[in-house]
Amino acid sequence: MGERTRHLVAALTGLGLGLAALGPGLAPGFVLSYDMVFVPDPAFTSMTFGLTGVVPRHVPSDAFVTALAAAVPADIVQKLVLLAIFVMACTSAASLVPSRRLLPRLAAGVCYAWNPFVAERLLLGQWALLLGYAALPWVVAAAARTDEPGGTRRLTRTLLPAAIGGFAALTVTAIAALTVALVSGRPRGGLRVAGVVGALSLPWLVPGVSRAGGVPGEGTAVGLFAARADTPFGAAGSLLLLGGVWNGETVPSGYGAPVTAAIWLIVVVGALVAYGKWGRGLPWWRGAAVAGIAGFAIAGLGAVAAPVLEGAIGLWGGFAVVRDGQQYVAPLAVVVAAGLGLAADRAAEARWPGVAAGAMAAPVLLLPTLAWGAAGELRAVRYPDDWARARQIINGDPEQGDVLVLPWASYRSYPWNHGRRVLDPLPRYLHRRVIVDDAVTVGETTVPPEDPRSVRLAPAAKTGAPPAAMLRAEGIRYVVVDADTGSIRPEGEVAEMLRGPDLVVYRIGGAASAAGDGVPVAPVVVGWGIASLLVFWSIPAPGTTLSLSLLGSIKPRRPDDRRRTP
Amino acid sequence: MRIAIAALVGALLATGASFGAVQLANASQKDPVIKPLYNYGSR
Repeated sequence: MGERTRHLVAALTGLGLGLAALGPGLAPGFVLSYDMVFVPDPAFTSMTFGLTGVVPRHVPSDAFVTALAAAVPADIVQKLVLLAIFVMACTSAASLVPSRRLLPRLAAGVCYAWNPFVAERLLLGQWALLLGYAALPWVVAAAARTDEPGGTRRLTRTLLPAAIGGFAALTVTAIAALTVALVSGRPRGGLRVAGVVGALSLPWLVPGVSRAGGVPGEGTAVGLFAARADTPFGAAGSLLLLGGVWNGETVPSGYGAPVTAAIWLIVVVGALVAYGKWGRGLPWWRGAAVAGIAGFAIAGLGAVAAPVLEGAIGLWGGFAVVRDGQQYVAPLAVVVAAGLGLAADRAAEARWPGVAAGAMAAPVLLLPTLAWGAAGELRAVRYPDDWARARQIINGDPEQGDVLVLPWASYRSYPWNHGRRVLDPLPRYLHRRVIVDDAVTVGETTVPPEDPRSVRLAPAAKTGAPPAAMLRAEGIRYVVVDADTGSIRPEGEVAEMLRGPDLVVYRIGGAASAAGDGVPVAPVVVGWGIASLLVFWSIPAPGTTLSLSLLGSIKPRRPDDRRRTP
Repeated sequence: MRIAIAALVGALLATGASFGAVQLANASQKDPVIKPLYNYGSR
């Protein structure tokens, strides 16, 4: 079997896993879950590029989706992106196992594409983070080979999914790549990684640092987003098992039961031992191990040493990036997957095919509730007709003015979305500047808003009846109420443009010009230009494709390589 | 024979009645989400 065929089988396995995981989410419509917001016919607006002054966490992933949606319906784009995560994750992890046997490679691929990390982050709707996660094994391999001819270009290509994912995906990936490059004894490689990551970060970095509010950092939220135990082994044990997401509602049903969690612990520990024992000949072995340990330490910081993290955030708000700790166990997932593949390879070599097959099947058997849309949690829904009518009215209006969304809260549990929580989709659904509450409430605690306009409007909006005169002065032309439609209404002279069971639209005449909280456009354009040039530079000459060059980035082990392994 | 037919008809009626009762109960149930919740989740 040729190398390409092996990659193809791994990709098809990943596709099968993706189809199994998404299940009812593949029906026509959109899967809306927590941070996962896709809308029909998205448009390029100033928000897409982070020009409105909000924290640009959605840059450039929203631009990527909007560009794809110009050619393919947006609900299809969502399904393709989600399936691509599984395909890339399985293929990239499989390529790390230096074996000509298929089963060990698939064991690594399946483990990396189907584990608690993927399940919990998928339920939390963090598809952009998962894009970076899916390509991380390629990045790890490429970061250890930056000094080879074409090494920097290869590294840039492997970083592309994380760059599309944006802020969180690139941060997690950058930490792993830098660690691998430096630990592999390549200081120049570290510089190259830093340079490439820096350039690819510009689309979100430039609007992020030039926004009026600066870099946000709320130290009090450390406790909210710290890793939590979702197995009987505590927060640290849960992180070791690649789970431990902060949100208790996004743990797959049934995960963490004592028996299955104990078996999964044996699998993970066995994989780590196998990695330590049989992976030493691999160029990225030490770097990935250190990245895994470092990631694990960062992941546990909020849970184990919260005051340290709070103090660090107090010194510089940028440290808030490690607040949501669990996402940093991604490099550990690479190590676990590679270790499982190595163990399966040894088992196959010892003519224990049952053990090798068991290693491949274990992640799925121990986490069956990721299947079928995480046991029915991820379902495709259609936006109500009221929403389409509201968009028609608001987008068709030539008058200037922004949109205020009520009730004043960032997340919704719409009945038409089966009550599943989701970030309010209206800022993406409408093609105007939409002001929503961007404060985040977890349980009884609220993290303050970051958008300067939200901060200004919050006191009035919280009442549920903001005065129309005040909204007019703030440049608001429309108020859209997308929940509790019977009890919330702006006070004063407003025209009711639409009333439906799911949405009400009010118009306020004579909206003033909005205060300029936006970021300067020119530096953002330059940032996009530099990042785009780097991407174009990295793409190989005609005759090859990006996917093939990614797949071909990992050389198979030669038969005599085993002899060098102690 | 008549007893067998009666038993069959009785079984069919009972099946239909129970099926109808379940359908009616399901149809009369409201959506479990009565009030919008605004949290980002809970720990």
